[in-house]
Parts: sequence; structure tokens; C-alpha cells
Amino acid sequence: MVSLMIPLATPRLDSDLIAESRARPEAFAALFDRYASMLYRYASRRLGPEVAEDLVGETFLVAFRRRDLYDLTRPDARPWLFGIVSKLVSRHHRDEAARYRALTRSPLDDVAESPAERVEDGVSASTVRPLLAAALARLSKGDRDVLLLIAWADLSYDEVAQALGIPVGTVRSRLNRARRKVRESLGHTNPLRDEE
Amino acid sequence: MDDLTMLRDLGRDLEHEPPAGLARQRRRLLDEVAGGRRRRLTWFTGGRPAGWIALAAVAVVTAALVVVPTVLLRESTGLHLLTPPIGDRLPKQGQALTVLLLGSDRRPSWDDPGSSERSDLMILLRLSADRKQATAVSLPRDSMVQIPQCRSADGRTVTAHTDMINQAYAIGGLACARKTVESATGVRVDHAVAIRYDGLAKLVDALGGVAVTLPRAVDDPKSKLRLPAGRSVIDGETAVAYARLRYVGDGSDIARIKRNVALMQAMLKKVSRTDNLAALAALVRVAATSVTTDPALDLDALVMLAADVQRAGTRVTALTVPWRPYEKDPNRIEWKQPEAARLFARLTGG
Repeated sequence: MVSLMIPLATPRLDSDLIAESRARPEAFAALFDRYASMLYRYASRRLGPEVAEDLVGETFLVAFRRRDLYDLTRPDARPWLFGIVSKLVSRHHRDEAARYRALTRSPLDDVAESPAERVEDGVSASTVRPLLAAALARLSKGDRDVLLLIAWADLSYDEVAQALGIPVGTVRSRLNRARRKVRESLGHTNPLRDEE
Repeated sequence: MDDLTMLRDLGRDLEHEPPAGLARQRRRLLDEVAGGRRRRLTWFTGGRPAGWIALAAVAVVTAALVVVPTVLLRESTGLHLLTPPIGDRLPKQGQALTVLLLGSDRRPSWDDPGSSERSDLMILLRLSADRKQATAVSLPRDSMVQIPQCRSADGRTVTAHTDMINQAYAIGGLACARKTVESATGVRVDHAVAIRYDGLAKLVDALGGVAVTLPRAVDDPKSKLRLPAGRSVIDGETAVAYARLRYVGDGSDIARIKRNVALMQAMLKKVSRTDNLAALAALVRVAATSVTTDPALDLDALVMLAADVQRAGTRVTALTVPWRPYEKDPNRIEWKQPEAARLFARLTGG
């Protein structure tokens, strides 16, 4: 029964939407509906809720204006959009570092939700987080972009490479360096690290 | 525990849920989308907040097709008596003519009441020698160009620098705008005309109202607009409300643009039927209150021009200069070369 295997409404590829938007600009709104929330969540992690909102809006304006430059052989627009987000985030890199530094001093009080079940989780989160945050604050922009696109945006190495317009080898080396620095900052007080 | 796992946990704790404000950001995109469409298809460019754009669009289209011939004609009505200019920019009879049109926003700044108006729409209008053809090339206001050294209104000299093209008018008025456009396009500008947007209602009234056709009745308390379904003749104030109408149709900016195009066409229709001189003179008088022109006008030639345009039933082709996002700031644009240069060469060559 071949007919059953054909979905009723084929989900349209991002690249199709973008192609369509070149002739019919309003088609671009579908891309917003698809990804704005996801990009917002990511940006809110890095810069907090207020900046994130504006930044997401900005991201789509930039994306819209550059839709003619999009490589239509790439069906998934996420790397492209995260690339724009990363660029816009980098304009706020001082604020971002300050945000992480603030986390090193105070408990996570500006945090949206703090799930109760995570209070005791093997390693005490409250001792680790300030160290993690301090490490993030110290990373170079390029290393931090790679690390957080992997850890927080769940992009693959290839996708990060696309997003930032750098070779995959560079993604790997930046990621290794970033993780090493994070581990170093944890290493001084985290006895469990060596047991992994 | 793996460092990436810990990092992911931290990330989840820092994350916020998307707020209702994202709807505002969506709106922002839709405004841009509407702007992009205008930019691609027509000369209403600008990326200004809606409502205002709408008026701008109407005003500028009016400018190009109504005000230019009529304003140029106004000199024959005796409203203004200018000394015939002496110089190298005498309008050319029986020759092609290039006019720079600026739609300007008359919102004086509070700090500086004498401050400049801002130009938000720029159109380079080329009239063929036989006046049968006009080509209007829109120059988006956020185009990054080299602004040559200009003298500001208070006499300061502003050195050459790169900036948005609409800054030129803010710096040094029509003279600086013309100089900037000439240097950026390589096209020699014969005349520069600035039109303020506040003229729409007055123009409609001067036309004795215009006819619009609505698919269904409108009763919008917000804009105080009440109109029955079908054809209505509306006055200036109603036309402005109609142009601004938001919560009718599908509520989109595209719908609003359509209404504005309809309004513009209604105005043009009315103008094209205005064949008696008295009516035209009245229109001219109104247009003149919203218009600034450069001083170098050869009265006779301009009257001829206006009459020619009226007679020839000039066809207008609207274009936008080819552009792409500005490399240093994607929120600005730059002209795409060599396409832009080719366009300007064709404009003057044809």
C-alpha cells in the first residue's frame, strides 16, 4: 500500500521555504514560526531574556535580508540561523561574560526555573556551577561559540562549521580547547573528575 | 559527570521560555517582509514603521506623477516669481531630464527647531526627451554611500564620509542630497525636489476627493473611518484614515499597501482627468505648500515640461537600484556592482 506511506502533508524543507520567500517574501514568516522559540531559548541562556527577545527579532531581519545568499542545497536552516545568532551575540560579548561572572558570585537567582530534582545529583550543582560559569566567562569568543553551539544548541560538528563558516577541523580544535579549559577550572575542586 | 553534561544542566537552568514579546518580533519581521516586497517590486522603499510608510508611499507616488509636473507648472500660476537662473543647469527643452525626488519627513527635532528634515525616500526620475517615458529608480534610504563634502545649513563644512544616503539631506539639504546622488550614481541631476508627507490630505481635497471601492463596509473606531461597501468618494481626512486603516482585511501590511496603491491610482485617475487650468492651478497651489525645489528653475522650460508630461501621457517604469546587505552591517545595504552602475548608465544612455 504505497499510498499509505505518503504523508498527507509533506513537511516542507527550510530550503524550500527560503526559495519560495525569494519570490513571495511573506513565506519567510513560516521560518520564524518554526525556529524563533528555539533561537530564543538559546539566546536567553547566553544573554538573558530581555536581550534575547530583541536578538531573535534581529536575527530574522538579517536572515530575511540575506535570503538570496542562502545555499539552497542545505535543507536545514538551523546552522545558518544559529550562525547569525552567534554573530549578534558576539556584539554583546561583554554583557555575556558579565552575566557568567555574576553567576560565580551569587546563587542562580535570575534563573527561570530551577528543577528541584536537580538539587542532589551526585556532584553538588551549586559548587560546580560557579566554576563552570567562571570558565565560560574566560573563554575566547570563538571557543565559546563552538562549545555552546555543541552543548546548548545541539548542533553537530558539521553544522557548527557551517554556522560559523569555519572548517570542521577548527571546530574540533576549538571544542577541545574549550572543554579542556572548562575541565581545568572544575578540576581543582572536583574530585570526581578523575574517576570518569 | 561529564563536563558537557554539567554544561547542559547549567544551560537548562539559565534558559527562559519564549515570552509573548516574540509576537512583537514576528510583527517586526512582517513589517520588514512588507518593506522587502515594496523594495523589490516598486519604489515605495524604506522599512519605516507601517502607517507612516503607507503615507510615504502615497505621497511619493503622488510626488512623482502628480507633483512634479504640477509643481513645475506652478510657476506659470504666478504663485512664485523666481529670478530666472543663470548657470549651467538650465532645464533642457526637448532633451532628457533627470529629477531627484525626495520624500521628506517634517518632524523637527525639539532640541533644534531649525533642524533639518529627514529624507526617507529618494527617487531618481528620468524623463525621456519626448516625455513619453519616465524611469523612476528608487534609492533605498539605508544605502551606504560616500557622502561628499557638503556645507550644512548653519555654514559648517562636513567632510566626506561613508554613511546612509538619507543623511545627505539631513546634513546639507537639497544641495547635498543632489551632490551625493550625483557622485554615487554618476548621473547628472538637473533638478532636486523635496516633498513633505503632510500634503496627502491636502492633495486629495484639492482634487475634490477621490473614489475608492471597498469590498465590504468599514466601521473602524480606531481610525474613525466609516464607509459603506462599494464605491465612495472620500475627502482628504478620510483618505488618510483609509491609508492608515489597520484592522480591516487580513490586517496585514500587504493589505494596507494594496489599499494605498488603490488610493494612489484613484488620485492619478483624478489628476489625469483634470484638464481645466483652474483646477490644475488649485492643485498646484496645494502641492506647492508641501514642496521645496532647488532654486535653479527655468520657468518657461518647466512650464513646457509640465505641459509635455500632461500631453504625452507619460509611462512610468519603477525600479529599485540593485542592492545587497552591507558587508559591515547587515542592517544596512549597499548597491550591487556592477549591476547598479549598469543601470545608471542605461538610465542616462537611453
